[in-house]
Order: sequence, then C-alpha cells, then structure tokens
Amino acid sequence: MTFSIVTQLVVSGALIGLVYALIAYGFQLTFATSKSINFGQGELVMVSAFFSLTLITLGLPYWLVLPGGLLFGAALGLFVERAAVRLALEQKSEGWILLTIILGLFLFSVAENVWGRDDRPFPTPISQTPLNVLGVDVTPVELSVAVGVFAIMGLVEVFKRQTLLGKAFEAVSADRDAGELMGISATHTVMLSYALSGVVAALAGILVSPITTVGPTMASALILKAFSVAVVAGLESGFGVVIVGMFLGALEGIASFTLGSGWREVPGLLLLILALAVRPTGVFGKAIIRKV
Amino acid sequence: MIRWLAPLLIPLLAFPTFAADSIKLAITGPFTGGSAPMGASMRDGAKLAISEINNAGGVQVGAAKMKIEVIERDDEAKNERGALIAQELASTAGLCGVIGSVNTGVVLAGDRHLQEKGITKIITPAAGSASMTQWVGKAPELSIFRFAAHDGIQAAMVVEEAINRKFTKVAIFHDATNYGVSGRDDLQREIKKQGDKLQVVATEKFNIGDKDMTAQLLRAKSGGAQAILIWAIGPELAAVANGKAKMGMAAPLIGGWTLSMSNFIDNAGKNGNGALMPQTFIEEPITPKAKAFIDAYHKAYGVNRIPSAVSAAQGYDAVYIFAAAVKQAGSADTSKIKAALEDLKEPVRGVIATWKHPYTKWDIKDVETHEAFRREHGVMGMVQDGKVVFAHDEDKQRLAALAKAP
Repeated sequence: MTFSIVTQLVVSGALIGLVYALIAYGFQLTFATSKSINFGQGELVMVSAFFSLTLITLGLPYWLVLPGGLLFGAALGLFVERAAVRLALEQKSEGWILLTIILGLFLFSVAENVWGRDDRPFPTPISQTPLNVLGVDVTPVELSVAVGVFAIMGLVEVFKRQTLLGKAFEAVSADRDAGELMGISATHTVMLSYALSGVVAALAGILVSPITTVGPTMASALILKAFSVAVVAGLESGFGVVIVGMFLGALEGIASFTLGSGWREVPGLLLLILALAVRPTGVFGKAIIRKV
Repeated sequence: MIRWLAPLLIPLLAFPTFAADSIKLAITGPFTGGSAPMGASMRDGAKLAISEINNAGGVQVGAAKMKIEVIERDDEAKNERGALIAQELASTAGLCGVIGSVNTGVVLAGDRHLQEKGITKIITPAAGSASMTQWVGKAPELSIFRFAAHDGIQAAMVVEEAINRKFTKVAIFHDATNYGVSGRDDLQREIKKQGDKLQVVATEKFNIGDKDMTAQLLRAKSGGAQAILIWAIGPELAAVANGKAKMGMAAPLIGGWTLSMSNFIDNAGKNGNGALMPQTFIEEPITPKAKAFIDAYHKAYGVNRIPSAVSAAQGYDAVYIFAAAVKQAGSADTSKIKAALEDLKEPVRGVIATWKHPYTKWDIKDVETHEAFRREHGVMGMVQDGKVVFAHDEDKQRLAALAKAP
C-alpha cells in the first residue's frame, strides 16, 4: 500500500463523505429548531434530483436549473413540515417519526410512477474528465460537490449568525418557549428550518446525481450513511458532520482496500456502535440537560 | 322443437374444449424496473413474431388455422410476483404455453408451479445456470425449456476472450446478488478449465446501489490487472466503467451479456466504449432476415435502438419455435406441444440462427437436452459510441455465411 494509493483512497472517500455530511446537515437544521428530523430526507434528495433532471430535459440552462431545483426542494421541505410535523409538534407527540417515514414512502411511489424506475444519467456542464492533482485522480464534478457543500453550509451559518432572522432561528433552537415570549414565532422558524433543510437536500441531489445517476433508489444507500454521520457527529455541530462525513468516507475506502470489498461498511458500523455506547450525544454534541 | 334442437346441441355439449379457436400463449417478464430493458424487449420481440404469424392467418393446427392469443403478465423482477403469476397461469384453463422470465430468482420461485401441471414453458432470456440445473436429478419429465445462452457458455466465452487477447493477469468483479456470485463461480471454474492461463490478482465485490468503486479498482490496478472480468447489472457496471475512466485505467471490461443493457450503455457514456460481452444477436443488419427484423422492430415500437437486442431476438425466435411445435403436435394441448418441442422435425428459420432440432428428450442427468443454445451461437459484442457492435469481424462473416447456407 503505497502513499499514492492511500491519498487516492482518502480523497475519493472524503469527497463522497461530504455528500453524507450534507444530507446529515439537513437533519441538523430541523433538529435544532424543532427537535424533529425528516426520516424521508432521502426521498427529498431523490425527488429534487428528478425534478432538476426534468428541467434539464426541458432545455433549461444549468444556471437556471440550480435555483429551480433548490426552490423545489424548499417547497418540498415546507410540504413535509405542514403535512407531517406541525400538528405532531403542537400536540407534543412523536407522530412526526411515522408521518415523515410515510411521506417518504409516498414520494418514492410518486417518483416511480412519474419518472419510472430506471436509473438515468444526469447531464452536467461540469467536466467529467479526470484531473491529476499531486498524483491523485479527481474529476471536476467531484470537486464541485466539495465546493457546493462548503458554500451552502457557509451561507447557512453566516445567515444564522449575521441576520436578524438567523438570530431568531438560533433563539428558537436554544429555547423555544423563551423565543416565543420574545415575540418570535416558533412555527415560522420551524417552517424556515424545514425549507432550508429541503434546499440542502435538493443541493445534495443535484451535486451527487452526475456521479450516482438519478433513480428512485439513488438516496437509499446515502441516507443510511448520513444517519450514521449525524449520530456519530451529534445533531448540534455543522462542523462536526463535515469532519465525521469525510472521515467515514475515507475509512470506507481504506477498509475496502485493505480488508477486502466485503468489509467496506464494517468500520462505519463499528464507529456508530462505539459512538452510541460511549458518547450518545455524538462526538461533537453537547450533553443536553433537561430541567424538569 | 326439442327433437329438432337436440342433435344440434349434442356436439356442443360433448366437445366443449374444441370450441377454443385460439392458441393461448402467456408472456411473462419484468416490463417495469431495472430489468425492464430485457423484459420489455423480449415481450416486444415475441409480439412482433405473433403478429406476423396471426397476419398470415395463424398456426396450422391439424386442418384448421388458429391464431395466437397473448396473455401478458409483469413480474416486476420480484420473486414473489413471479410465484403468484406462475400459480395463476398454472390454473388457467386451456393455456398452451408460457414464454419469458428475465430474473433467475423469479424462475426459481415460479417454474415449479408450471412444471407440476406440466405446462410447457420456454425460458428466455434468463441466463442464470440454476434455472435449469434445479431440475437435474429431480424431474423425470420436464416441461421447462430454455432459449438463452446460459452463464456457463457466457463465462467460457469471457475467459476465452481474455486468453485470446494475451492477458495473463485479470481481476474478477461481481455484485453481491445471486447472479453476481454464481457468475464469479462460473468464471473461476472456467479459468481452471481453460488451463489456468489467467492469474486472478483481485476478486472484488460490491452491493447494488454502490457508486464509488475506487477501492476495488485500486486493488485491481495495484495487482497489475490487464482486464476486469465482471458479472453485475447495468447501473453498477456503469459505476465501474466511470471509476475506471477517472483513474485512467486502460484494462477493458469483459463480462456477462448485461454489459449490453441500455442502462449500462447510457449511464457509462463514452466510458463504456470497448466493453466486451457475449451476445446471441447484434443489432446490425448483416443478413436479410436480421435487417427485416430490426426494421420491423424499429417501426412497430417507434425506436431507433432496441433496448436489449438479444432479448428481442430471443423472444422472436422462441415464438417461432413454439409455433412450429404447435403445428407439429397438431394440437393446442400443452403436453403434446412439449412432446413436439423435444423432437422438432422441421428446422425453424429464426433471426438468430436456423434452429435444427433445438431440444431432445429430457434426460434427468443432462440439462443440455432442454437447452437450445450452444457455444457456436454466441458472438462477442463490444460497446461502441452508445451501441453494441461485433467485436470480431470473423463472427460477422461466419453468421452472414451461415444465413446464406441452405
């Protein structure tokens, strides 16, 4: 195992790991404000990718497809919030768990019937021709994933810290009731977080589609990894999911190379069990003290 | 009045089954989903043959001409759907035969119901070895036939191709399904059988849905593999081809006939060029018969490429073989059709070949008795710019010459 092989494995793995991180970030956004997550997040990724593909086949240029897809993602996020989460939260029930799963299954059937069950290529203006950077082969498409992930996460973090709306977001995240007393509508903030989560899912779909192709099951493998990342990193830290996502991706590559391809998933699962056993709040999570 | 009617009614009462004036033929396969390119092409090829036969008046059965009536069932490539459909067909009154199945799992789940009732079935294009070997040593009589180049033939051709290209080091890639794992075993067996001329430097596996093949490819690359022998289906095959291009690996993909599936060719794009796979039919008009078939298919279904040309041609020829058996049996009775299939006297001119005595009486120890395809029916295909073409000119000339022979 030479140095160049290790770097290739780490770089390729980390790039795919960033996609896990981006989807996990979508979980974090909604968890922060509402302590709920969308278990159908993978279907949001998939349906947004299909929608963007339709825009492309209609002949729209890529720079219009991107905002179109993201807007569609935001709308889907709002739909999930209204249909599956809002009432459950008002009644302080855990109904959102089942409802988001059901909504995911529903979107899956819709996609199968509207777009068919075949995997389809996703055309992109970004080149697929590999570049050789310091002995490592990467394609510009893979690099665009990294750029996209950092850009959207950077923007959301800046929004949360620098704008008034963002501060309201943080306030509801910190303490929903106190926020309400200060005149911040918790319902609107939760809606905002679901819309943002939808945007993040749509971006993940658009970025990863040229690599994975678009099909109803495109996100089913990704979403499981994203759950692992979210659990291991904790549902608090955006920085954490990036680190854990890249680490998990690289680890999968190295395990697959050294132990054999059948062992690819094992280190990730061990990591998950270890994290749950030793640090249930996640490596980067904060222990929540609940006052009763 | 009664006295008048009675003689008229008696024949109706006595021979109710003779009232059937059509040959009921069921076509089953996955017409939706990941295997749909194969299932739908097989169905469309078969229906093309059926409409040709029906337009010419039907099949000569004894003194009368009977038309073929199609019953279509979509098994969605799901084993449990396949089992349900087989049960339904097994209890359909007056069913003459079944043509179809793409997925080995569906065949294993469903065919025993047909075999129990002795209903004649021609499996096409499912290639997994187990579909027929499951009956070895078990069924004294068998009503199941296959019309496809099974994986054993395909693996032999793949290994032969690698040896002919003077490769000495290869990697074996396969997916974790039944199909992939048994393909790996077939490949390893063939490498041994053909004199151990290939050294396997890496045996790599991946799951359905895997997109990142970097680690597997790096193992192949660092082992010095000159070719990748591969058994998987469309989307993952494309992921391997794309990963290979990314790492600048020149080693070609040589693998099962799934490398000709449209969902490999489309998703791999130019990275799929040069992939080699065994085929029984290639969409090139090398004979007048092939040209007529390709043109008719394009026209009937409004396409300019058959999604899976092998499946379409096999579906087409299977119908003609079935019709020949009905004619020879002189009856629409499924067990008589089976007996005729086991001893088909007249050669059937198909689009793949002229079929002379494709099957013989079932031998409980020899699965080849119910297999129509032999090594000489296979040719090597190669992906080139979104199409499958002949990999070797000799194959093309051999087939063209065969078609000219009387």
